[in-house]
Amino acid sequence: MSETVNPQQWLQEHGDYLYRYAMSRLHNEDLASDMLQETLLAAWKGHRNFKGDSTIRTWLIGILKHKIIDHIRKEIRNRNLSDAIEHDPTSAYFDSDGSWSEAPRAWKENPEDLCRSGQFHGVLDSCIDKLPEKQRLVFRMRELSNDDTETVCKACDVTSTHLHVLLHRARLGLRKCLEIKWFGKDERS
Amino acid sequence: MKHACRQATKLASDALDRRLTAWELLSLRFHLLLCSNCRQCDKSMKIIHETAELIRHSQYGDLKLSDEQRRHLLEVLDKEAHC
Ligand SMILES: [Zn+2]
Repeated sequence: MSETVNPQQWLQEHGDYLYRYAMSRLHNEDLASDMLQETLLAAWKGHRNFKGDSTIRTWLIGILKHKIIDHIRKEIRNRNLSDAIEHDPTSAYFDSDGSWSEAPRAWKENPEDLCRSGQFHGVLDSCIDKLPEKQRLVFRMRELSNDDTETVCKACDVTSTHLHVLLHRARLGLRKCLEIKWFGKDERS
Repeated sequence: MKHACRQATKLASDALDRRLTAWELLSLRFHLLLCSNCRQCDKSMKIIHETAELIRHSQYGDLKLSDEQRRHLLEVLDKEAHC
């Protein structure tokens, strides 16, 4: 048996890395740990598929990624997230001629300061939570987990055209929410 | 120029996810040049995008499995995957 086939050693060497990857997508410690367990077991059972043309870590991440995509697909199916219930929220921001119904304000703070502010994290989370479910899901995957378009489309079972529509809606919704809950404060105080 | 601003914000959002065509890029730039509202919105979307990126790196950057999680995983592996 080759020395690469040792799940205990994989856990030792790549466990934290895989766990971080899973956490950044699932935001749930128990679930991330379960996915890691499934990944290591699947890798052990399928170690003959490891060709050695990538590193063990890349191979393990590939398995984990598929497990996470499957999990998200199942979640979507279970909760029966359809697009029909999600109306186009962008119509609220524009007049019928397509111009802004209310002028967007200037945001003065920069990303570095915002990232350092724990208070802003809280406001951002609450604004993301307010998005319609499918928008929230694609926004999280795309912006917070940095998954590529292909992965998000596959997990959420949408076309790339539809994904871009959902992201546009999510970003405008988030912009509006943050403007009210965070950036609006500057001008009042 | 019907739906101009709504359309411009769509292109500005798309630009964060895909490469715009030359024509799309030109029409977006032209619109942003003339429209301060969309300039503001474009900037806001980029701020959200960049902040999310920074948060992503800071949030889980040095996260590790807890001892308990590690112990549990090792137990499972010893049981299910002994060579
Ligand atoms: Zn405009």
